Amino acid sequence: MANDESWLDRFVNKLHKKPKPWFKYFGAYILVPIWARLTPVKRLPGGARPAIQPGDNVQSMMNLIMPLKRENRSPIGRAKAALAIAENRDQIFAGLDNVGTVHFARFVIVNDNICMFSFYDGDFTNYIRDFIATIGGAFNDVVKLVEGGDALIPCEENVEAFIQWIHEHDLYQVPDTPTDFLRDQEDLNGDKAVSPVNDDLTLLPRKLVLQLRANANVSLGSGYRAYPGFSVAQVRKKLELGW
Amino acid sequence: MVDASVARRLVDEMIFNLPKHDPGQRPVHTIGVGVDAYFTASDVAHKYCIAEHFSGERICAKVRFSNAPGGPEQHDGRSDVRGMATRFLLPSGAATDLIATTLREFFARDVDDFSKFTKLDKHEPYQRESPWRKILDLLWLKVPRRDPYPGEKTNASAGILSYANQHRFAQLAVFEAKMIGAPVSYVRAAYHAIHTFIVEGENGVRRPVRFSWQPVAGVRNTDPDALPDDDYLRQELDHRLKRWPVRFVLMMTIGEAGDAIDDPTRPWPARRVRVIMGTLTLTGVPKDQATAGERISFNPWRLVRGIEPSGDPILRARRDAYEVSRKMRGGTACPFSNWSCADGE
Ligand code: HEM
Repeated sequence: MANDESWLDRFVNKLHKKPKPWFKYFGAYILVPIWARLTPVKRLPGGARPAIQPGDNVQSMMNLIMPLKRENRSPIGRAKAALAIAENRDQIFAGLDNVGTVHFARFVIVNDNICMFSFYDGDFTNYIRDFIATIGGAFNDVVKLVEGGDALIPCEENVEAFIQWIHEHDLYQVPDTPTDFLRDQEDLNGDKAVSPVNDDLTLLPRKLVLQLRANANVSLGSGYRAYPGFSVAQVRKKLELGW
Repeated sequence: MVDASVARRLVDEMIFNLPKHDPGQRPVHTIGVGVDAYFTASDVAHKYCIAEHFSGERICAKVRFSNAPGGPEQHDGRSDVRGMATRFLLPSGAATDLIATTLREFFARDVDDFSKFTKLDKHEPYQRESPWRKILDLLWLKVPRRDPYPGEKTNASAGILSYANQHRFAQLAVFEAKMIGAPVSYVRAAYHAIHTFIVEGENGVRRPVRFSWQPVAGVRNTDPDALPDDDYLRQELDHRLKRWPVRFVLMMTIGEAGDAIDDPTRPWPARRVRVIMGTLTLTGVPKDQATAGERISFNPWRLVRGIEPSGDPILRARRDAYEVSRKMRGGTACPFSNWSCADGE
């Protein structure tokens, strides 16, 4: 920033702010694995956090990432996944209508993953249980294309295993604040310390990098909501859409 | 209520930390600009709060934007917190203030924390980190310390960091302050009143709420790598308002049972109900800044029927601290005031 910098200052600043490809490579493939070994980070669990307050029990996010089986990682495999959704559209929509607590749900193919992103009210387990009870049959067509899915078929009869599987494939939701992220890591490590503590906040970047190594896919923040705090039932009632 | 000697001590501690202080000026948020404005409540606001300014009538308002640091030096372009204090001049002749900053949370839960923080929040020599140290930081996957701004010989960052390292409740505010940047304009930033207030609705329902101003022009910061300009915010605002008025939307978030009501260090979840309470329109920068920007004095306890303070100890402490500070610097007591410190309310 100031102009009394030596050439070495300028070089290092550039290394940090506009790193050359070699330095990025060095960081990603050498430094990060070394630190991951020296300071291992556990994978943080996915899904919405358990909540007791009413506002926290509405419009929760599910970000389900289901990797396609190896043999389906091709345009043909992706087309099969697209077809599985398209062919079962009626069942899926009827099922979601019957669940009654889902604001939005959509299916997306990203690379070789079939994803389901939704906003739902109430308890996650109940949502999945209701969902699978009503559309389990349709979901079998999707699940059979994805890794680890065979063990769950027929989904409607393996409800508990299915719920567990979904939970494991639901993304970790990085909290809205950096400190809540640190608290998540501390909780996972059983660190319940209160003031005074001896933290080193300058380590946040490394903690984040290593966490994103352990949880390669994450959902960022709790998400924007135009009308937070309202359930599907309240919105439908207020808009006089019937139920 | 904190007693007057505590309020005096708090202000003295703030002044003590300043490398330079003019007794005729504020000990914090010293550099600022007063602006004329008016407020119009949204059509639902009065349902949630019966306070006069939410009735829907056009309400005359005075705003003061500021840079948070104390002392006469002006550094608009440095990354730091900004303030937005608003006075609503009510048709009944009363007035009410809403004081907000670009920080969403505070770093202290009570007066004791605040004093401990202030003890560490001292200016110390600040130098460029050696390139070798920076390389070591990069190897440790840390972000190297920022270089000093031109002319910056001291700052309080080391003390603040050590406080945050010891106190988890302070970490969020300290992180946010560190990453906050400098706005391209006072009106391109969002401002938060931080504390919880209790508002009373038309039907007598009382709700815990937190207020924020959202800029209609959007949030935008300067380029953090560019050389910062020390003096641009007032001219920018003046030029902008000569061309067109500027608006802010007042958002009110409603808390739920279990949310931190009395603790300003803890945010509320993003899923709380938010209500649009109205729009503030800034109309111009008055020429007489001695009155509009310097002598004017705000107080977070200048409230009217329909809005009450929560039990937040920091909010409580601010009541007398602002009054002590106003008197020390010869600020104007609010002529519309329905409240004064001497009332001992
Ligand atoms: C115990 C905690 C605090 C103390 C002791 C304190 C003290 C002060 C004092 C003495 C002033 C100068 C008042 C004057 O001379 O008119 C001031 C100004 C200010 N404070 Fe605080 N403050 C505290 C917390 C906060 C918080 C939590 C906020 C955020 C909402 C805040 C925002 C501001 C702003 C925006 C101004 C400038 C107001 C103006 O433009 O006149 N302060 N503070």
